[in-house]
Amino acid sequence: MKVAGGDTIVPSTAQELADELRRCDASGLRVLLMGGGTLQGLGNPPKACDVTISTAKLNATIEYDPRDLTIAVGAGMTLRTLANTLAKNGQFVPIDAPHPDRATVGGTLAAGWIGPRRATYGRPRDYLIGTTAALADGTLSSAGGMVVKNVTGYDVSKLFVGSLGTLGALVRVNLKAIPSPQTMRVAIAALPEATRQRALNHIASLSIEPACALFVSGFHRDIDGTDGIDGRLFLLYEGSQAVVDRATRELRSALGAAGVPGTTILDQNAQRTYQRTLDACTSTIAQRSITLRSYGLPDNAFMRHATLETLAQELKLSLDAILDARTGDVVARFVARDAETMPYAVADLVDGARERLSNLTVIAGDPALRIAIDAWGPPPPSFEKLRALKERFDPRGTLAPGRLVGGI
Amino acid sequence: MPPGLAASLIDAIGPDAVKTEPEDLAVYGYDADTAEAEHLPDAAVIPRDARQVCAVVRIAREHGLPIVPRGAGTGLCGGTVPVNGGVVITFNRMNRILELDVANRRARVQPGLINLDLSRATATHGLFYAPDPSSQKASTIGGNVGTNAGGPHCLSYGTTTNHVLGLEFVDETGELIRTSIDDPGYDLTGALVGSEGTLGVITSVDVRLMRLPESVRVCVGAFETVEAACETVSAIIGAGIVATALEIIDKVMVEAIEANYHAGYPTGAGSVLLVEVAGHTEEMNHNESAIADIARKNGALSWTTARDAAEREALWAARKGAAGAVGRIAPNYYIQDACVPRTRLPQALHAIDEIARDHRLVVGNVFHAGDGNLHPLLMFDRREVRQIQAVVDAGTEILRTCIDMGGTISGEHGIGYEKRETLSMVYSTADLATMGRIRDVLDPARRFNPNKIFPTGAICGEVTSSVA
Repeated sequence: MKVAGGDTIVPSTAQELADELRRCDASGLRVLLMGGGTLQGLGNPPKACDVTISTAKLNATIEYDPRDLTIAVGAGMTLRTLANTLAKNGQFVPIDAPHPDRATVGGTLAAGWIGPRRATYGRPRDYLIGTTAALADGTLSSAGGMVVKNVTGYDVSKLFVGSLGTLGALVRVNLKAIPSPQTMRVAIAALPEATRQRALNHIASLSIEPACALFVSGFHRDIDGTDGIDGRLFLLYEGSQAVVDRATRELRSALGAAGVPGTTILDQNAQRTYQRTLDACTSTIAQRSITLRSYGLPDNAFMRHATLETLAQELKLSLDAILDARTGDVVARFVARDAETMPYAVADLVDGARERLSNLTVIAGDPALRIAIDAWGPPPPSFEKLRALKERFDPRGTLAPGRLVGGI
Repeated sequence: MPPGLAASLIDAIGPDAVKTEPEDLAVYGYDADTAEAEHLPDAAVIPRDARQVCAVVRIAREHGLPIVPRGAGTGLCGGTVPVNGGVVITFNRMNRILELDVANRRARVQPGLINLDLSRATATHGLFYAPDPSSQKASTIGGNVGTNAGGPHCLSYGTTTNHVLGLEFVDETGELIRTSIDDPGYDLTGALVGSEGTLGVITSVDVRLMRLPESVRVCVGAFETVEAACETVSAIIGAGIVATALEIIDKVMVEAIEANYHAGYPTGAGSVLLVEVAGHTEEMNHNESAIADIARKNGALSWTTARDAAEREALWAARKGAAGAVGRIAPNYYIQDACVPRTRLPQALHAIDEIARDHRLVVGNVFHAGDGNLHPLLMFDRREVRQIQAVVDAGTEILRTCIDMGGTISGEHGIGYEKRETLSMVYSTADLATMGRIRDVLDPARRFNPNKIFPTGAICGEVTSSVA
């Protein structure tokens, strides 16, 4: 996907990056900050971009003593490198995002990306213990530190979460790590329509909760390559072997009682299969698809899913969806039969969805499709404060103008 | 008091909600850290709802007065003391759970709700509110949000900020604004947590509730030295065991605690380690024996597991009441709060010991070892002027030492009034200026809790009461 505009600069140090920002800011050049570019489809494309500044070379481990369970890395480190670095010591940071080979730690945090396992482990923001950011005027500013409890002034780091490069550039990220679970297991079960409600009720009462519980419809090619099943349950279990084994027994018996035909267990490929569900969230089909994410409470997720299904039928679009039973997220990819239809349907689709549901964000789609719609919808009640923060941090509007909610 | 203030407040929120007599105001000059009420507010108000808080903020603004929100006054750094006078807003009447959503495991609560009351109210639904500062029997959710309060269970569950899903606050103009961590854009919720009342007045909090664990074990071991207990903590973490709490109590403190509470801590040893693990039964059985092995390998003199809930609760009650037992050692104590990377704990403790000795002070330690969060208690007698200065000097030296070890000056108590001059030991002028930008946006007149957190001159233009 072509996302960047103008020259691309790849600074080698945080100071260099800050200097480039200062230079651009002083000369009125608009800057797009770029990590791995995997979430450029989230939010609005920037209104203008003269220079792209990449964090690709800020990818080193800065501080890591495994016994402290904390790590500081350059914001441009990929999620895969972070995971591999920590895995050598049996540790991890639960940041679930698409395409970890390219996605960067800084970019994922700045995008405010959140994944299904947050129901169990919390959000990426909950692991963020400190940052250094380069502000638009070239100031390098740090907050937090390398300790896991810290109440020293404002938690400035949090403001950069969800800022999408409009407030400053994260250059260093300090994270809290936790011990990796001993075992990871995926259970997949086809849920024929008639068994669905009963199965979900049973699952809600299990004594061992899965690390994530997804109901997937469509996305066949993206996730499991199977066809012809219209809905399936996707559960991830993590923990000690004994606990995961007990969870599996309980699950099989619950699903059996609900009349679900069979359950597939994956141990070897659990991580890879789980990653495919994450990748699916932002996967696009040329100029034929647009993906929305609906935020809400878990207990009305199925209602929102049904609403989006009805909308897809009305607009003669097909729908791939991942419903997260524990967090309430519904990721919905609407697909048109051909590339000619979608540009006409996309505005009706987004407007129609917003008439029926609040808090919907466009998270993936071809830039040509996204140009016609507002990715965010109505701004939140705190919008005036957000706008004023932008004004105070980036008074010249240097950083990714228009990329964030309400045209920030 | 500025003319017309009392009348405006009474007119807006009723006579029973406004206090202006010096004898009524004296109590608002203190927190748990303050010895004498040197600073009194011009007025204290006890609003019933968010709308009344808005009215108070507008009135204070019209009179050009500071606004100081206050929870239960259990703070340990002078954070709620009205050092510039003004209007103290207290939340005794805003102490309800507004909504309890069991299915979605969340609750909307008023800021004056007492921390422990939330977990008590949700227990019947198999849920609990995880942050549990030692003050939880008295401290409020709003106050906890203000200081991003921690507690022994942060190790596994995180601090207050990890459990706040959204807030409602009154801004500097007196408008109510609601935030959610699901809102698009900058994480304003996250920036407000831990801002110690300097960015707005919080009027409701959306909290995350967690499922009560299936099984809980609490073990206690005695060690020859504090270092041995620290090594055990490192080894437990190194083995990848997720404990829900890892607390160390040194000899000085364990003797005082046992004499006071008879909770079952082993006395006579150099230190005691308290370990809690929680989760599914199979995992607990395994973790319990693995931890016991680690403890023995690290020289545990004894190692026992609490037999039942009553024994567990007794151990925890005594641990959380540790500061209350200090009266057996000295008439006064000063509790410091600092954090170091976990591996630096033994050196930090050694340094604290030396600093105390240099200043001829008795020091006791009771701390969240798993988090590297230290709480040295410096014992003294307020009637001896030399000792007061010694405590102040020793406290600052301890903070300096922790910073030099890569740590910081507050893990969970906050900066407040007491530590504000030390904040520049942690952050550069540029770092503080960035925080100032946030203040510029949310509190441009520096009306909310002025003269807190930031060193003098770091953030200019704070409001002072006309009479204070």
